Amino acid sequence: MARKIFRSSTGIVTFIGAAILVFFLFLAVFSPQIAPHNPTERVSRPLQAPSSEFLFGTDNLGRDILSRVIYGARIALTIAFLAVVIAAAIGIPLGLISGYIGGVFDRILTLIMDAIYSFPGLILAIAIAAVLGPGIVNIALSIAVVYAPTYFRVIRNQVAGIKDELYVEAARALGARSPSILLRYILPNVLPSVVVVLSMNLADAIMTEAGLSFLGLGIAPPTPDWGYDLSSGQRFVLSKAWWAILFPGVSIITTVLGFSMFSEGLNEYLNPTIRERR
Amino acid sequence: MMFILLALIFFILRIMPGDPVLAIVGGKAPQHVIEQLREQMGLNKSIPAQFVDYVLSMLRGDLGKSTLTNRPVLDELKERLPATIELTAFAFVMAVLIGTFWGAEAARKKDRSLDVGARMFAIVTYAIPVFWLGLMMQLLFGMVLKWLPVAGRISPALSFTPITGFYLVDSIIKGNWAALWDAFKHLIMPGVALGLIISSIFLRMVRNNTVLMLSKDFVKAAVARGIRERAVLYGHALKNAFVPILTIMGLQLALLLAGAVLTETTFSWPGVGSYLVQKIRYRDFPAIQGTIVIFALIVIVISICVDIINALVDPRVRY
Repeated sequence: MARKIFRSSTGIVTFIGAAILVFFLFLAVFSPQIAPHNPTERVSRPLQAPSSEFLFGTDNLGRDILSRVIYGARIALTIAFLAVVIAAAIGIPLGLISGYIGGVFDRILTLIMDAIYSFPGLILAIAIAAVLGPGIVNIALSIAVVYAPTYFRVIRNQVAGIKDELYVEAARALGARSPSILLRYILPNVLPSVVVVLSMNLADAIMTEAGLSFLGLGIAPPTPDWGYDLSSGQRFVLSKAWWAILFPGVSIITTVLGFSMFSEGLNEYLNPTIRERR
Repeated sequence: MMFILLALIFFILRIMPGDPVLAIVGGKAPQHVIEQLREQMGLNKSIPAQFVDYVLSMLRGDLGKSTLTNRPVLDELKERLPATIELTAFAFVMAVLIGTFWGAEAARKKDRSLDVGARMFAIVTYAIPVFWLGLMMQLLFGMVLKWLPVAGRISPALSFTPITGFYLVDSIIKGNWAALWDAFKHLIMPGVALGLIISSIFLRMVRNNTVLMLSKDFVKAAVARGIRERAVLYGHALKNAFVPILTIMGLQLALLLAGAVLTETTFSWPGVGSYLVQKIRYRDFPAIQGTIVIFALIVIVISICVDIINALVDPRVRY
């Protein structure tokens, strides 16, 4: 009985998380159709409180905040997905090779990855973003470097664990070459564990992106971005423009909540199956 | 470890695209000016030679000079470090207190409202960006209710001259109670904002570990011996739950540093984090590099401390 309740409550959490994600994905894809105004154009007087015409009010440049929030979903999700894909593309192959080869190569790579991992992620991302300069790909890259070690560690440890399993040895005995052993026998067995890391990283990537653009290291200004829109926050605070702070922030929070709820549910769902398979 | 981090920082800042000299003088400077600056900064040497120079100067404790103020980066950082330590220490203590007590009580009343509340709190605060929380607090407590100052470390009207740089300590040494109160009022908002965000992680860890410990035999034995429930909770379960938590606590301190960069920027708190952001705005590469090296040093010192404490607390850990 207790287990059943637990199961269903996890199910609800996962469902809410997924619903939030679908909602924001929808906003991101159809932002030109949904947004009532042009997000980069002056449509009214600056710092207008929310009204029926401008539901979320206007910012210090007289731009419609609702439209900026809707378009902001595009940037946030694009960068987060891109960052996670790049991180996985760096971390997974390196982890595979490092775990499979072992030896000195493995030790050095592990040491480097551990060093990156132990360093405060945001500060590392700040340093890289400062050097690379603004731009979607650059920001995604700086975030990716922070998360690549996570994939490396997960994959490497698993590969090191299973590379002497019988089925791997059998493949080797049958004359399979190392690349094909890695890709066809080992990779499919370690990949499921990455899925959870992936969805959790998406939440973190959105947070990091918001932090970077809050510090002025994100996308070049006129583009709508939640973190950047909060960076003139001090001005909003002094003029008591709560709407200019509240709405972009709430969008960040709900998106991150969506991803972390979804990944938590995914974790519960996937982990037992992974354990059973082993 | 330190060497690897140093090498990484060097790699990121020097070898990646982007020319520090061009960043300083701008794209239109005459060629000989650029060459001269390049020589001055040692950038005309080969990359390996630059790396050797860099590591040697780091070992001597020389972080180079800021290209913006022409002052040694180390001196500038020394002025700012106490502010960051004051802020992070306040936030850390707050996070540990919230995490420990709420976490332990939540574990005792598992699945009751206190526990569900704790879990909700942990999930929601995990998703809140610290700068947003800071801005909302500024708006509410600073502007609407006018209880607390919005930015800075101390009111300029007090014309306070620091001794150690730790304003709370300084004002106590001087016996300047007005300054102490003022500095404390400035510290509350950034400290609470940062502390709340970090506390969610502690809360979660303490709760989960204590729940695990409460199901162990030694807890049952303690209860059977008639020891009061609270004493079992704090003296037996929580004490043992803390061993794994300590390790993760070290990692959280790194997170605290990252949070401090954002919090300091939000509250114009004159610490190392806002220094870094300022220097990035002016593309002051020696200062950026120096700050990040200091951050790396702090992370390493913390992780060594955690290892030592771990060995002291848990006799099973041996190195």
